[in-house]
Amino acid sequence: MSDAVMHGGVAESVLGPAPIYNDAVVKKFVIASIFWAIVAFLVGVWIATELTWPAANLGLSWINFGRLRPVHTSAAIFAFGGSALFGTSFFVVQRTCRARLWGGEALANFVFWGYQFFIVMAALSYVMGFSQSKEYAEPEWHIDLWLTVVWVCYLLIYVGTLIKRQEPHIYVANWFYLAFIVTVAMLHIVNNMALPISLYAAKSYSVYSGVQDALVQWWYGHNAVGFFLTAGFLGMMYYFIPKAAGRPVYSYRLSIVHFWTLIFLYIWAGPHHLHWTALPDWTQTLGMAFSIMLWMPSWGGMINGIMTLSGAWDKLRTDPGLRFSVTAVGFYGMSTFEGPVMSVRDVNALSHYTDWTIGHVHSGALGWVAFIVFGALYYLVPVLWHRQRLYSTKLVAWHYWIATLGIVLYIVSMWVAGIMQGLMWRAYDQYGFLQYSFVESVVAVHPFYVIRLLGGVFFLSGALIMVYNFYRTITSPTTEAPQAMRPAPIAAPAGAFGVAGE
Amino acid sequence: MDSEPGDFVVGALMAIFGLIGLFLAARAADGEMYVFGLGLVAFAALFILGLIKRRYDRIDAARALVRVRHDV
Repeated sequence: MSDAVMHGGVAESVLGPAPIYNDAVVKKFVIASIFWAIVAFLVGVWIATELTWPAANLGLSWINFGRLRPVHTSAAIFAFGGSALFGTSFFVVQRTCRARLWGGEALANFVFWGYQFFIVMAALSYVMGFSQSKEYAEPEWHIDLWLTVVWVCYLLIYVGTLIKRQEPHIYVANWFYLAFIVTVAMLHIVNNMALPISLYAAKSYSVYSGVQDALVQWWYGHNAVGFFLTAGFLGMMYYFIPKAAGRPVYSYRLSIVHFWTLIFLYIWAGPHHLHWTALPDWTQTLGMAFSIMLWMPSWGGMINGIMTLSGAWDKLRTDPGLRFSVTAVGFYGMSTFEGPVMSVRDVNALSHYTDWTIGHVHSGALGWVAFIVFGALYYLVPVLWHRQRLYSTKLVAWHYWIATLGIVLYIVSMWVAGIMQGLMWRAYDQYGFLQYSFVESVVAVHPFYVIRLLGGVFFLSGALIMVYNFYRTITSPTTEAPQAMRPAPIAAPAGAFGVAGE
Repeated sequence: MDSEPGDFVVGALMAIFGLIGLFLAARAADGEMYVFGLGLVAFAALFILGLIKRRYDRIDAARALVRVRHDV
């Protein structure tokens, strides 16, 4: 069924170009995000099992840890998080600009299906054993080129919609989304510069070598965190928390300061991934200094997000979806404090190469990224499917507590395991020999790997509860909106949504 | 209007991608490129079919609306 028909039964071809939103593509991205969340969490649980009991790889090369690990990270970051970012950015830009997506239905559909094709092709290439061995940039050159095409179309749609907006002001969420789109394009292109051995072969070699290659990779890697996993989701925060809370952003001025300081500082922080390596000392110090400075804008943003609930704290009792969003901002504050601490060279000497890093990444990925997405999804699904409410807020609360417990189990076990590893690896005996062999540290962390696995199972279980709740929300007659509440086929002014600054 | 200008631009782009996919699959030096090439062909073909289907959906919807208005 075409978009035109879905929007209140009014055919665009008959009435002319009515200012109706393209929510069909938003719905597709929401469904994709939910689907990929389950895939990402499931593969995560599976590889956590393989780390705990290596025989769980069943001796099959297709599902060994080395091949499934990028499937897990790509599914979590690019498939689950990416689909959520595409979907929410299209939802937000249309409403805050009071304009339908630029480029028409076909282009938006191409961005959706093209991005899904990228994800499937990347995952297939990993399990087949193809990788350019760059963390979070594993796909080979041909898949990178495809993503570039899709991403440029995404940028065109986004910028085109901003240009044809009917609101004079560009709401701050759009600035964050735009920074995410533009910077990820730049990072992706520069980091993936490579020469294929043949136009018909998947194998390629990076144009960079040695420490330059490492620096470019971690300039990319850290800014993938900064602009994909932070800036984009901050855009989500700045729209959906005010909407769910029914309150304006605590300080619109602070949000602008947050934006520009974050954008300026993040781009320099990458070298902290290369402490104690062949990278020149001054570059490592630069990365460390900028990472510490990043603490301020990060916490400015956190305060802005949390204080947006001023006067609406009671909603945390009645709206578990909002609880997800606010807890996410808390985790954002926590992991953006932990990150600068870990970037200090002397702390890094203990933490690097240990499971502390894994715990840190997951406090950000599960606590911040996944929770802010869950909060947005719990808001979006009833709105997009024109339902009066969610099927069960009790199930949302169950999801919240199971997922939170899962995160706690995960990150605490990884803290303990990581610090123990770091201490064991640096321990000397009275004769100056290493006190422990590497395998002893592997044996020592085994119980914590079991606890981490349990945390992952909890998180997956919570997500499955969410899927059931969404399914029932969309299909159950108990959630049907009365006819009067169904949307009229016209765009409401952005100011009507209660978000400050619109 | 039954078709948007974007339909033709995206459709033409898909035809080019489909052809590229055919070349890649035909001369693939490894399994990965073969799978990618065939995947690209299938993607392009299905997308173009989707474009055609949506166009006829729009025409049907417009006719249905005119019929409803006529009855009223």
